[in-house]
Amino acid sequence: MECLTFTYPAEKEVSKSSHVGVVGSGNLEVLMEPSVSGQAEAEVTTSLDGNREIWNCVLERFFQENPVAVHLEINDFGATPGVVRLRLLQALELAEEVE
Amino acid sequence: MVRIHASFTELSARERAENLLDTGSARELLGPFSHLKSPHLLKQGIVPQNDDGMIVMKGRFEGRDTVVIAMEGKFQGGGIGEISGAKFAAALQEVLNDNQAGHPVFPVIIMDTGGVRLQEANYGLLAIAEIQDLLVSIREYVPVIGLIPGKVGCFGGMSMTCSLFSYIIMTKEGRLTLNGPEVIEQEAGIEEWDSSDKAFTYRTIGGEHRVAQGLADVLTEDSREAVHQAVKNCMEKGIPVHRSTMVEEYRAKIDKAAPGNAVSKKAVPANAASENTRSENVAPGSEKNSAGLRGRVWFEALTEDAITGNLGSIGSVLCRDIILGNRTCRVLAVTADPHTIFPRTRKGEVGLQQGWELARLIRQAVEEDNDSPEKRALIAVVDVPSQAYGYLEEYHGIFLSCAASVNAYAMARHAGHPVITVIVGNAISGAFLAHGLQGSHMIALDDETITVHAMSKKSAARITKRSIEDMDKAADSVAAIAYDIHSFNCLGAVNTLLKFPDHDHPSEDDVRVMKEKIAEGIRESEANGNTLDYRLKTPNAPKYRALSIQVRRQMAEAWREK
Repeated sequence: MECLTFTYPAEKEVSKSSHVGVVGSGNLEVLMEPSVSGQAEAEVTTSLDGNREIWNCVLERFFQENPVAVHLEINDFGATPGVVRLRLLQALELAEEVE
Repeated sequence: MVRIHASFTELSARERAENLLDTGSARELLGPFSHLKSPHLLKQGIVPQNDDGMIVMKGRFEGRDTVVIAMEGKFQGGGIGEISGAKFAAALQEVLNDNQAGHPVFPVIIMDTGGVRLQEANYGLLAIAEIQDLLVSIREYVPVIGLIPGKVGCFGGMSMTCSLFSYIIMTKEGRLTLNGPEVIEQEAGIEEWDSSDKAFTYRTIGGEHRVAQGLADVLTEDSREAVHQAVKNCMEKGIPVHRSTMVEEYRAKIDKAAPGNAVSKKAVPANAASENTRSENVAPGSEKNSAGLRGRVWFEALTEDAITGNLGSIGSVLCRDIILGNRTCRVLAVTADPHTIFPRTRKGEVGLQQGWELARLIRQAVEEDNDSPEKRALIAVVDVPSQAYGYLEEYHGIFLSCAASVNAYAMARHAGHPVITVIVGNAISGAFLAHGLQGSHMIALDDETITVHAMSKKSAARITKRSIEDMDKAADSVAAIAYDIHSFNCLGAVNTLLKFPDHDHPSEDDVRVMKEKIAEGIRESEANGNTLDYRLKTPNAPKYRALSIQVRRQMAEAWREK
C-alpha cells in the first residue's frame, strides 16, 4: 500500500460533493469535494506500490481538461488507468450536476 | 419507478438500499462523507473505504418508516469490522429506541458478507454479539426482514445473525451457511468438502435448497420488482414464530440427521463409509489432552456441591444448578464427548446438537423462574475449540442451532437473568458467539495458552491470502487480531482476569475465589440491567473501542436529523 498526494492548478468550482466506486478488485473509490485551497488536490491510497508516475499522468491530464478546484480522495484497489479516468469523469459529472 | 426484470443482485449495496426504498425517500446515514475509514486496515497496509462497506439508509418502504442496512460484498467480502459493525449495531439501537417509544420502524437487512472481517477479528465478534442482542429485542416489536441477494452470500457469524431474523428472502444465487466451503476444506479435509465443486456447494447452501428445507423463507427471482414484492409480503405478514425459538421441533430434526440416519453426501455409499472410518480412527480416551478438558474440570469444580444432577441430555453439554451465596445459578459448559453421534463435535465443538441443547437448558431456567422475583444466574463456562466443521453440520443448519443458543442467552438476559461468562480455555469464533459472547459480565483466566479469535490461524491465513508470519506481525499493531487473552482483554469486554497456580487443576481456594468473582459479577450485571452495554464502559473501552463509541454517537445524531 502507498499513499500519494498531488496538487494541480484549478480555475473553476464545482457545485457539490460526489462519490463513486467501491474499493474492490480492479476498482476504486473516488470522493470529490470542493477544495478549500482553490487548487486541485488529490490524495491517493493505492494497494499497488510504485505507480506514482502513472497516477501523476492520469490526474494531470484530467485536471488539464477539467481544471476544477476539488479535493479528491482516492482509495484504489488495483484499478487500471482507464478505470481511474472513467471514475473521475463520473465523479465530476455528479459534482457538476445542477439540482 | 421499478424496471421489470432489472437485476437486483448486480447493484452495489448503496444502490440496493436506495432501490428498495420509496423513490425520493432515502437518506443515507454516516455515508462516505463522514470519512469513517478503518484505521485497523490502514495499519495492515490494506486500502480502506469511506463507508467501511456498511450502508445505512433511512426512508420509507411502501409508506412505512424503514431503515435498510446493506453490506457491500465487493469491499473486503462484506466483512464486519469495528466501524461497519458499529454502524450496524448503532442503527439497530435507534430502530429499537424508536419502536420502544411507540414509533414503528421496520429494519430490512441486505446481507452480503463473509462474516467477521478477519483483519479486525475480535472487533467483528464483539459487534456481531451486540447486533444479535439488539435483533432479539427488536423482533418483539416489528418483523426483521433479511435479504440474501447473492455474490458473496451470508457466512460466519452473520449466518447466525441471519437466523435471528423474522424472514429470510434469498435468490438462487444467494448462499447461507456458517463455515464456507474453503474453511471446511481447510479444517476438515477435502473429503469432507471439495470447495472447488461449485455445483455441490450451491446444491447444499444455495437459496433454492435453503428455502426448500425451511432454513430460509422465500425464494425470489433476481429482479427488482420481485425482491420488492417479497419484502412487502413479509412486512405485511407481521411477526412470525421465530425459528430460533422452536427448540423441540429442531432437536427432533437434528436427532434424525445424525450419521446413520443422515442424508448421504452425494448419494454414493462410499462416502458414508469413509465417514464411519473416520469416526473410528479416534478411539475414545485418546482425547485426554484435547480441548474441552479444562472446561470439564472447572465445571466439575464449580458444581461439586450442586443441587441437581447433570441436566444435559447429551454428553457434550454439561449443566447443573448450584447455590452461590443465596443465589441459585445454572452452570453450563460444552465439552468433548468421544461418544457423540456427530463425529465433528467430538472435541468439544459447538455443533447442531449443542446449540439447541444449550437453548433448551437456558429456556427451561427462564420458564421455571418466570413467576419468581429472583432470576437464576446463568454461568457459561467457556472452553470451546470452535464450531463444528462438517458437511452434515452445514447441511442441517448449524448456524440456526448456534443462533438458538444466542437467542436463548439474550432472551434470558432481557427477562432479568444475569449471564456470567467464565473463560477458562479457548473461546473461538461461532462457538464463542453461541456460548459466551452474550454474557453481561466476563471473567477470564489469565493464561497464555488461551486463544480468543474468529478463525484458526491456518484458515485465516488462507482466507486473507497472507502468511502466518504476516498475520503475527499485523497482530502487534492491532490488538483485535491477536489470539491471546491479554489482547482480547484490551477490547473492554472482560471485567476480570484471574491468575491461579495451575489452571488445569484448580485448588479449593481457586474455586472459592472464582465463585466470589462470579457472585460479584452477578451483582454488577444486575446493576447494569444485565445488558451488553458494559463493554463500552470498562476502563479499556475508551482507548480500544473509541470508534465503536464514536460511531454510536454520530449515528444517534444523524438519525434525528431531518
